[in-house]
Amino acid sequence: MQNAFPITDPELETIVLDAVGNVFSTMLDIEVSLVLSTEVNKEKHSNGFRLPLETDQILIAGTVGLIGKLTGVIYIFMDLSMALNFTGRLLDLTPDEIESEGHESVNDAIGELTNMVTGAFNNDLNKKGFQCRMTIPSILRGSNYTIEPMEDAVRRIFKFDCEGGSFVIDILIKEENTFLKYINHAS
Amino acid sequence: MRVKILTVDDSKTVRIIVKKAFKSFDCDVVEAQNGVEGLAMAAKESPDIILLDITMPVMDGVEMITKLKSDPALKSIPVLMLTAEAGRENVMKIAKIGVRDYIVKPFKEEVLIDKVSRVIDLRPTGESAPVQKRIDDPIDILVLEDKPAIIAQIKNGFAKTPWNIHGVASTGEAIDFCQRKVPDCIIISLSFPDDAAITLFRIIRSNAKTKYVPLFGLSVKTELDEQQRAQQAGFSTIITKPIDFGELENKIGKAVNLDASGKYFAIDEAFLTVKLPSACNATVVNEVSNYLKRKTSEAVDAGIAKVIFDTQEMQSLNTEVVKLLLQSMKLCRDLSLNYALAGNSKVVSESKKFEESKDWDFCDSVEAARSSL
Repeated sequence: MQNAFPITDPELETIVLDAVGNVFSTMLDIEVSLVLSTEVNKEKHSNGFRLPLETDQILIAGTVGLIGKLTGVIYIFMDLSMALNFTGRLLDLTPDEIESEGHESVNDAIGELTNMVTGAFNNDLNKKGFQCRMTIPSILRGSNYTIEPMEDAVRRIFKFDCEGGSFVIDILIKEENTFLKYINHAS
Repeated sequence: MRVKILTVDDSKTVRIIVKKAFKSFDCDVVEAQNGVEGLAMAAKESPDIILLDITMPVMDGVEMITKLKSDPALKSIPVLMLTAEAGRENVMKIAKIGVRDYIVKPFKEEVLIDKVSRVIDLRPTGESAPVQKRIDDPIDILVLEDKPAIIAQIKNGFAKTPWNIHGVASTGEAIDFCQRKVPDCIIISLSFPDDAAITLFRIIRSNAKTKYVPLFGLSVKTELDEQQRAQQAGFSTIITKPIDFGELENKIGKAVNLDASGKYFAIDEAFLTVKLPSACNATVVNEVSNYLKRKTSEAVDAGIAKVIFDTQEMQSLNTEVVKLLLQSMKLCRDLSLNYALAGNSKVVSESKKFEESKDWDFCDSVEAARSSL
């Protein structure tokens, strides 16, 4: 972790665990377990970092930005079957019903989940004195993502297991305003 | 009348979750996906409560509620904010703009239902609804106020109604009254010390017999702190002094679910008569509009094919009334009902100033209007 970052690793992990656990148990009635928590940086991962999701399905990522005393972005990555599972639970729809609604219902459901997780995360940041506002959510679909933040941003990955699968929370954050350099989408 | 809930959120997921939560209650849930649509739906549907997200594109929740509070026809609709941001700054901001309560996402359905049911009368589907009283039926209104002059003023203000006003000066007397007879509505002065009004509110709400009785707070207009505390505690509405009895009568009628259609609609053997009062403000227009479809359907079912729009008592014509009459005439044409207008000289003269009404023919009496059909 960058020395300049005002939140310690254990604190950040606790905030993430509380946010994810609260949202998933309240809205989906799902218990999650944190199975991996790692820092990503150029020293440790000079050849790049691949998300720890073993799947041959396309990935869906919900993303919400944070702006304020801390600035950054939170992604929740999951494969399509996990996304369909979460959507079905949230909206009380069968797989056939979700399919008939098309991408839109899945995008909206995952976007809202990401919104709630980021909101819970942000609320804890606020309690620690870091006032931040959130952007509206957006959705990415594809595979083989790499995300390369600005050099002085902190990046932490948290992998959770649930319902026989996994999802990953990818947090990029820094204390001053910055922007993501770019997102590479390899085919 | 079923209660109506308006949910305003850019997330279809949240709107679906809200609809699902109230599926087993006797209510209608209508939707909007941003503040602009929310304002339009609020004006169209006159919901009993609005569940409002903060962060939305086009117009956010803060802007929407600001515009809502500045519209006389909409400002009294209670608003619950649904937000993912529960930070101190955000909570202070929404408390200042006059929301009734807020719910932080994520939320359980039970929490949503509990908070909404503190504001509106939510009944499970199938639970036998009380027989609906009409606006000209006697009802009992309990007033807790330590100033006898205010109780006298309220009795006087409702002297022309069949309503029974029971004044008491202490919370003990109020509780005793409720044990003897459940009032239809309770008005509590918020000026009692030590938040006694809020304590009484909680006692009344915790009693199964009085749980659903509408509770109004009565406060001096400038006492914003006590009004806000009362709203947050869950009072149905706040009445400010000096009291506008026309507005209070409408609010009580709505809260007690009185059928007020008799104020404006009369059906006899051959005619449906729609009579507009002398002062036709937005509240009156809204009320008439809400009953219009039902009453015209009743008339059609009764074999009536003629409608009289009686504007003889109106002091003046305004755009809202013109719109109402246009809507009513269209409904008549859709239902193949013949209609005629009766108006006074002032209304006739003012109708010439509007493009939509300049060609309207008015009869100079209701009898003449009947004869013309």
